[in-house]
Amino acid sequence: MGFTLRDHTADVAVEADGESLGAVFAAVADGLTAAMCDDPAETGDRFSVAVRAEGREALLFDYLDQLIYERDVRGVLPAAHEATVRREGDEWAVEASARGVPFADVDARDVKAVTYSEMRLAETDAGWEAYVVFDV
Amino acid sequence: METREFGDIELRRVREHVWEIPREGEMNAPARVLASEALLDHIGDDKTLEQLRNATHLPGITKHAICMPDGHQGYGFPVGGVGATDATDGCLSPGAVGYDINCGVRMMTTNLTYEDLQGHEEELVDALFEAVPSGLGGGGVVKGDAETIEDILARGMRWAVDAGYATDDDLAHCEDEGFRDDARPEFVSQKAKDRGRNQIGSLGSGNHFLEVQRVTDVYREDVAESFGLEADQIVVLIHCGSRGLGHQTCTDYLRRIEKEHKDLLDELPDKELAAAPAGSALAEEYYGAMCAAINFAWVNRQLIMHRTREVFADVFDRDWRDMEMRLLYDVAHNIAKKEVHEVDGEERELYVHRKGATRAFPAGRPELPPAYADVGQPVIIPGSMGAGSYVLRGGDQSLDLTFGSTAHGAGRLMSRTKAKQEYWGETVQDELREQEKIYVKAQSGATVAEEAPGVYKDVDEVVRVSDELGIGDKVARTFPVCNIKG
Repeated sequence: MGFTLRDHTADVAVEADGESLGAVFAAVADGLTAAMCDDPAETGDRFSVAVRAEGREALLFDYLDQLIYERDVRGVLPAAHEATVRREGDEWAVEASARGVPFADVDARDVKAVTYSEMRLAETDAGWEAYVVFDV
Repeated sequence: METREFGDIELRRVREHVWEIPREGEMNAPARVLASEALLDHIGDDKTLEQLRNATHLPGITKHAICMPDGHQGYGFPVGGVGATDATDGCLSPGAVGYDINCGVRMMTTNLTYEDLQGHEEELVDALFEAVPSGLGGGGVVKGDAETIEDILARGMRWAVDAGYATDDDLAHCEDEGFRDDARPEFVSQKAKDRGRNQIGSLGSGNHFLEVQRVTDVYREDVAESFGLEADQIVVLIHCGSRGLGHQTCTDYLRRIEKEHKDLLDELPDKELAAAPAGSALAEEYYGAMCAAINFAWVNRQLIMHRTREVFADVFDRDWRDMEMRLLYDVAHNIAKKEVHEVDGEERELYVHRKGATRAFPAGRPELPPAYADVGQPVIIPGSMGAGSYVLRGGDQSLDLTFGSTAHGAGRLMSRTKAKQEYWGETVQDELREQEKIYVKAQSGATVAEEAPGVYKDVDEVVRVSDELGIGDKVARTFPVCNIKG
């Protein structure tokens, strides 16, 4: 259970799996971190992120978008992700956290955005799997 | 009839370098690929053709969805794609513009020769790297407060002139004079503005770079003279876009389309083609927000050019004006614009989407600045850091074939993950310096590996096709001397 970076002509794709929706969300986020930095430092404080959306895929998109936003505004590389996903009425919600590694401590490069391109989020016998392409 | 097949897609040869996917099923128009046989082999190798065919499903798409010679797989709409949709009853598609709104290129000329620069390469590359913010979290030339951001979004390069970062001559040599009047900063989200604040005047990373180059070849002397280019001259090329502000603006509107125009989205074969119906409130708001992000990107490149002038002044110990450091032109290659084009003998207002494609208007188009009205606009095609770049001019055939567009670069061949397995950043840097006398400095060794010369298509072939089709004519070729990247 975890993530793998997959080939994409111009961008970067992350394939991930997890025992629960929350675990697969966090695994994709760990893939996003790996796309920006090969070896994140063990520094930085944890911060929380909470996002709601109308569906599971939309929630995954908005969660990853929020992490990219937090990165630029806080000036940190979000790493070591944890996430819990649940349904709340008509919506889906994720409560998550990440360790914000100060940019000064890492050799990192930009990922511009999350995309819906070829996005897959599906239940499997072992839990959940996901595929997400990021624009570099 | 000669045909080529790639998976379930059959292309028919229309004439040399022109291939067509005939209209069928739900397609609203045929699709065309402008490529040599060799380039078509690459284009057919990934999902480019499938994405191009999907693009023909956009409502109101006119004549053809078109793939430029450097086309490759993107998301939704292919990179190297041009799609013109009816501005009255068609659609406007953020997906067909791309995340990096007004990603583009500018070239600055100088009166220095390669000989003047030799011996200063190391000092120059170090000073540029120090002065121009790059990479993730590198900050910007300007730290913007809320008021500054609003002003930049509303007024583009006019803000830069008032703030002392640009001259009137710079404005006169920028697409749209560096200012989109349709900009509506109020339709750019607070989130996007927050991201842009720390990044005003920054390269970012990925394939963005600043390069000092020397002119190696001149193909059309008369045009080169109009552009102020001659052999052995030093020029500077800057490639970057609207940074987090533009990326967030695209993301915001993709999500709004998903929520507010689900009916249209459900009809499209790929969610990333997300489009708002022409005339809808959302299309108007996106157009205003996109134009504001376009202004932001022009200021971004202007601030980097300003810093470059200061660095040259330090290194060569003279005023930048004495080195005649003038903006040749600034062109966008991720953009949608309302333009009037003749279609079947009738003038129509269209949204021309260029995603990884450059406007290439020939002489006579009213949009051209006076300096290039009689010669055609300069088109700047960056190559990889080991190959040359090209300056073209808008070709006579571009209006007929491509709504006035041509390629935007070499086009990627190899994925970033594979590039990192194939290349090692430091080795690439050493080889370029020792074998080609190219000095590269980057924030991240991985970026150098990902952008190694071998990961790109042959830019010479891309430009040859553009020239032979008459959509963008070869004017001059440049070769890198110093390159900085994120």
